[in-house]
Amino acid sequence: MEKRLIKKESLAGVIAELAGKMRVCAPMQAEDQVLFRVLEPSERPLVDFANTKNAPKNFLFPRTETLLKYTRTPKGMVAAGGAEEGMKTLFFGCRPCDARSFKLLDMLFDQEKYQDPYYIDKRAKTTVVAMACVHPPYTTCFCTSVGGNPTDSEGADVLLTDLGDQYLAEFITPKGEELLAAFGGTPAGVEAEKAKEGIAAQASSEIASTVPAREAKPVLDVRFEDPFWSTLHQKCLACGTCTYLCPTCHCFDISDEVKRNDGIRIRNWDSCMFPLFTKETSGHNPRPSQKERWRQRVMHKFRYYVDNFNAIACVGCGRCVMACPVNMDIRKIVADIVKL
Amino acid sequence: MSGGTATVENPVEKKLREEAKRLLADKKVDVIVGYEAGTLPLTATPCFITAPEEADKLVWNPCCTQNLAKFVHDLLSQHHEAQKRVKPEAKRKKTVGVVARGCTTRSLIIHLQEKQYGRDEVVILGVPCGGYVDNRKLAALAGGEEIREGAIDGSEVVVKTAKGNRKAPLGELLADCCLTCRFNEPVLADVETGKGTPVAAADKEYEPVGAFENLPAEERWAYFEREMAKCIRCTACRNVCPSCYCRICFADQSQPRWVDIGENASDTQLFQLMRMYHMVGRCVDCGSCTAVCPMGVDLRKFLKKLDKDARDLFGHRAGVSLEEPAPLGTYKETDKEEFIFNPGGGGH
Repeated sequence: MEKRLIKKESLAGVIAELAGKMRVCAPMQAEDQVLFRVLEPSERPLVDFANTKNAPKNFLFPRTETLLKYTRTPKGMVAAGGAEEGMKTLFFGCRPCDARSFKLLDMLFDQEKYQDPYYIDKRAKTTVVAMACVHPPYTTCFCTSVGGNPTDSEGADVLLTDLGDQYLAEFITPKGEELLAAFGGTPAGVEAEKAKEGIAAQASSEIASTVPAREAKPVLDVRFEDPFWSTLHQKCLACGTCTYLCPTCHCFDISDEVKRNDGIRIRNWDSCMFPLFTKETSGHNPRPSQKERWRQRVMHKFRYYVDNFNAIACVGCGRCVMACPVNMDIRKIVADIVKL
Repeated sequence: MSGGTATVENPVEKKLREEAKRLLADKKVDVIVGYEAGTLPLTATPCFITAPEEADKLVWNPCCTQNLAKFVHDLLSQHHEAQKRVKPEAKRKKTVGVVARGCTTRSLIIHLQEKQYGRDEVVILGVPCGGYVDNRKLAALAGGEEIREGAIDGSEVVVKTAKGNRKAPLGELLADCCLTCRFNEPVLADVETGKGTPVAAADKEYEPVGAFENLPAEERWAYFEREMAKCIRCTACRNVCPSCYCRICFADQSQPRWVDIGENASDTQLFQLMRMYHMVGRCVDCGSCTAVCPMGVDLRKFLKKLDKDARDLFGHRAGVSLEEPAPLGTYKETDKEEFIFNPGGGGH
C-alpha cells in the first residue's frame, strides 16, 4: 500500500482540480448546514467539517432514479430508453462510518442471489476518499459499537488522516492508487505511521456513546411479540427523516409515471416509517401501524441484516439521533431492548 | 446520554407532576401525554405516562416544543376504532390527560368542535407558556457546532460546544410564532398549574404576512417555489399537525394516486398547497410544522396568510371558543365572496 504525506493547504485545491475532470461529490456549506453534494468544476470542498447532514448514499442509490422509459403507440408499448449510465465519480471527505456504509450496501445490492445493475454500475465507477475522524465529531457517534472505528479505512479507496501539520494519505485499493498522480505529496515514513497509531487509539477512546448493538440480536430473535413494541412508537411522527438521512437504509418503491404517451419507471426511496410501506395491491398492509413499522426498522438493522449478511445495518453515525424531531434515540432504544 | 435542562425553581413543573400523579392515582385518566427530558441537551420529547410514579419524569420548560393535541387525537381515534370490534357490554371509555399550553388547548377546541371526541374523554392540564426555543436559532447560537451541554437559567440560555460556551437571552431564541402569541394561558383547562407572562408583541402578529402580501404576485410565487424546492416530502409537517388528522391523507392514496412519489416539483407544491388549504381557520400557529421540518421550509409564512384571511374575511380566530362555528364548517348569506368572483382584486 502506497502512503504519502500531503500538505494541508494543497488538499482542497487537489480536489477542486479533480472536479473539472470527473464528477466529485464532497461536503459543502449550504446555508446553516453542511451537505454532501456535487462540486462545480474547480469548486473547493470543505476539509474542516464535522459530518454532512445527508448521507452519501444518494449518489449510489438516488432518491429517485429512472429504470426505463417507454412510449405508448398504436401497436402497443415501445421501449424508449433505459437507465442513465453512471459516471466516473469521486466521493471526497466521507467519514469512516459513511465509507463503511458502502460495504454494507454492497452486501445487499451486489450479492450472489441478487445483482442490482443500477447500484453496481455506479459503485464500480466511484472512488471513495475518506477522512478519518481524529476527534469524533459528535457525542452521539457510536461507530465503535457497531463494528466501525473513527480512523478505519473499511469501504474507502483512499484514507486521509490529519496528522496536525499535514495529511497522511493511504492509497488502499488499486482504484485509490489511480489518484496518486493527482494527490502528489511525498512518501510517508515510519514516523507518520506511528503518529497515526497514536491518533487512532486516542480517537477510539473519545467515542462518547456506547450501544449494546451486538447484544440486541439474541433478544430480538425471541421478542417479536413483546409488549415493548406497543409503546415504543407512540411519539414517532412517521416522518421518515431517520431513514432518509440514514447511510444504510435502502428500502425502495418502484412506480410508473405516465404523461400522455410517455412513461418512465422510477425507483424511489421508500421508508418503513410511511403508511404506504409494504402496502399490497389488494389494499392490505401486513404492517398496518407504526408499531409494526418501528419493529421492522429495529429488526431489519439489528436482526435480519445480521441473519442475512452477518453485519449490523447501522454504522453509528448518529444522524437519526440528531435529526429526529421527537428525539427517538436509537441508542436508547437498543439499550432498552437489551434490558427486556 | 444525559440531556435535560438545569432550570431554576420551576413551580409549574412541580404542580404539574402533583396533578398528574393525582389524576393517575385516582384513575381519572388512563394516560397522560406530556413532555420528558430528551436524550440530547436542551431537548424535551413527548412522553406517555400511565402509572402515578412515572409522573416525576414530566418536565415543563422552554424546550417543550410540539403541540401534544396531535397525540390526544391519535390515542382516542385508535381507541374508538378498536372499540368498534368490541361487544357492547365490553365497551370501555378511555380518558386522555394532556399537558396543554395555549396553542395546544386551541387545537383541542378544534377537535371538540369537529366532533372528534367528547369533552369527557380529555382532561386538560393547562400550563402557562412564555414560548419555546426554536431549534434552528439554538443551532445558530452554537455556531453550527454540536451542543454538548446546555442550560436555561431564568432568562438566559447557555450552550457548551467543543469550541467554548455561548449564551443568549431566552427571548432571542424563541420561535417566531411565540414572539407574537396572545395565548400565553390555556384557553380551556381542567387543571391549572400557574400563570404565565403575556408576550408583548401580539399586535404585530400579521406584520410579516402583510409585507409579504404586498409583494408582486411573481415574487410571491418565486418565494413559494423556492421554499417548496427544499421539501423532501417526509410529511413531518402533516404528521405533527393536530389539525391534519384525515384517516387516509390524499397524499397517501394510491388508487388514484393524486401525488406521484418521485422528485417532481409540482407534486411537492401540490401536496403542500392542498394541505395548507385545509388549514383555513384551523391553524393555531403552534409552529410545530416548522419546528419539525428537517429542511427548514418556511411553512409558517403561508399558513399565517391563511390565518389572516380567515380573520379578515370571516372574523374568525381558530380554536378560541367551543361555541363559535368554524368558517369552513358554516355558511352565512353575508359571507364575503369577492375573492371568488374577483380573485385578483381583493389581494387574497
